[in-house]
Amino acid sequence: MEDSRLSRRKFVLSAIAASSVLATTKRWLPGNDAWAAESENSALTRLSRLLFPHPGLADVVYADVAASLFTSFSSDSANGQLLDAAASALDAQVGGNWFGVDEDRQVAAIRNIQGEAFFAAILAGLRGAFYYHPAVWSHLGYPGSSKEHGGYKHRGFNDIDWLPEIE
Amino acid sequence: MMGKQFTPDDASVVVVIGSGAGGGTVANELAQKGIDVVCLEAGSRLTLADVENNPPLMDARMGWHDKRIGNFLWVCKTVGGTTMRWSGVTPRLQAHEFRALTTYGQIDAGTSLIDWPLTLDELAPYYDKAELKMGVSGSHAIPPSEESNNYKVFKAGARLAGYQQVTSGRMAINPVARDGRPGCQQIGFCHAGCAIGAKWSTLYTEIPKAELTGHFELRANSMAVRIDHDKTGKVTGVIYRDQEGKLHEQKARAVCVAGNVVETARILLNSDSMLFPNGLANSSGQVGRNYMRHTFGAVLAVMPKPVNMHRSARQTGILFDEQAHNPERGFAGGYQLQAIGGDPHTMSDTLGGWGSEHTAFMDNYSNLAALFITGEDPAESRNRISLHDTELDASGLPVPVVEYRNHQNTDAMRDHAIGASRRIYESLGALHFWGGDAPVGCHNMGVARMSADPNDGVTNRWGQAHDVPNLFVSDGSIFSSSGAGNPTLTIVALAIRQADHIAERMNQKTL
Repeated sequence: MEDSRLSRRKFVLSAIAASSVLATTKRWLPGNDAWAAESENSALTRLSRLLFPHPGLADVVYADVAASLFTSFSSDSANGQLLDAAASALDAQVGGNWFGVDEDRQVAAIRNIQGEAFFAAILAGLRGAFYYHPAVWSHLGYPGSSKEHGGYKHRGFNDIDWLPEIE
Repeated sequence: MMGKQFTPDDASVVVVIGSGAGGGTVANELAQKGIDVVCLEAGSRLTLADVENNPPLMDARMGWHDKRIGNFLWVCKTVGGTTMRWSGVTPRLQAHEFRALTTYGQIDAGTSLIDWPLTLDELAPYYDKAELKMGVSGSHAIPPSEESNNYKVFKAGARLAGYQQVTSGRMAINPVARDGRPGCQQIGFCHAGCAIGAKWSTLYTEIPKAELTGHFELRANSMAVRIDHDKTGKVTGVIYRDQEGKLHEQKARAVCVAGNVVETARILLNSDSMLFPNGLANSSGQVGRNYMRHTFGAVLAVMPKPVNMHRSARQTGILFDEQAHNPERGFAGGYQLQAIGGDPHTMSDTLGGWGSEHTAFMDNYSNLAALFITGEDPAESRNRISLHDTELDASGLPVPVVEYRNHQNTDAMRDHAIGASRRIYESLGALHFWGGDAPVGCHNMGVARMSADPNDGVTNRWGQAHDVPNLFVSDGSIFSSSGAGNPTLTIVALAIRQADHIAERMNQKTL
């Protein structure tokens, strides 16, 4: 796990450097209040968990989802601006560092900006990264690709046994 | 597979733009009659081996991603068009739905309802042909689709809620092997392409059958950009762009446009000229207008025990009880409820939102049941496809602008359908229930509609342009009203009928 975190951190830093928007905004640079998804302890990871709070799902999954979103959004300037706008708006909601306030205030801040277009884009991006994540599928009991197993024709497509008799 | 090859200056061919349900069908039907056809398809040609159970990957391979402004449409750019992605639900329209204006009246000042210039009786023989072509389950001698868990929940709940007309038929997915294609294996990824070809798609039915006739050439990666005409106003050929960006012209005796509504409207509007200053075939001003999508809605319910909705074809199960026109419900037209499944992302995206209310559903993924609402959507002139004044896309074409808003009739119908759905799932003890809009843009109709009066629409009862005798529209754009049910079967029936008409006109030397 340490190795993958380190490589992720390296990747995140290079993504920040490559993004003109994020490289000029302090909140994305390494530091105590950094937004970048370099670990389980970042604002973007926190945001991922608050949006899709599945009890029992490990922090490392949310960190991975946040890193995935960060990687895809920071790679082009329009999406980088959306990401920065979302972070900036959340920080502004709490008058400083959104990541540093308690959960109730964090959630209230999200509710206040949820109608904004930049938030919708971030939410859609995190939704995709999260609900296509193999660890999330395992957690939900969803097995993914089935064609290599011949589908479910002989594997329970009609095995429901709790319905009342009708007709 | 290689068909015949035609030269660009061969003006005897019919050029078909698009290879989906409408284009693929009209092209094959013409080729079967010995009429030479060149089919231009903007997308590339996949094989079944390219189909993976990976929705984002398959969306990248076959989805339509060119720039569009406004409402999203769930359509494809690939050989086979959106028949690669569709669920396969194939109900017929009802008799009264061909008489929308007569039956419902003009709902308000904003609606622009008309009747179809043809009747169900006239289309019925072509529905038969379409059902046999596509292998619609539960029609003719084809068995109904097998009853999956999600279907059984839907059916049991519907019966307990007092409904009677529920079927596992009317699916263009082989329940058993037929026409050289296997029976459904319940793989569950219909929307990412059927990996075994059990679901009807023109990619592996109409297109290869047409190629075997020796009268058909498919040109994939060929984006039609403009239709040319002569001084008399007859179309003479189609300009298209190849994969390298090079422009070509294919001469034509007649042209059939089947690009799914946005591209159909765009090429007509983009083919303006001195003779047709508002766009080809647009003297009425109706090209791009009256864009209809259906009343859409979705419902999710957390059931008390496992359903495992992922273990079956995306859709099996239609409830017809509410599809009649019954104004006492407070809206015009009717709707169908259709059981539907999906992967976690699809379910999350359908629910929208976030937080613990969201995860209350998602944490119970195995226990989820879901259904899709599709119902009559009144035509409105304001709902339209137009071209952006200045913005061009990567291939130099004006960016299409899609403007669509739900009518209050649509909102009232959806509310009623959600109430009915709640009764269905709560009759089985559902623990959580959600119902809402589902602006998915998978059913697209009306932007070149058939009309008896040339002032009211773009095409006549054969889908032939009122203004241009050798120009046809062959996709859902020609629907005069939406009806309640999924459009593809009707698109295919109309395309078969249109091909008969074109052949007859050619035999009479009037085309």
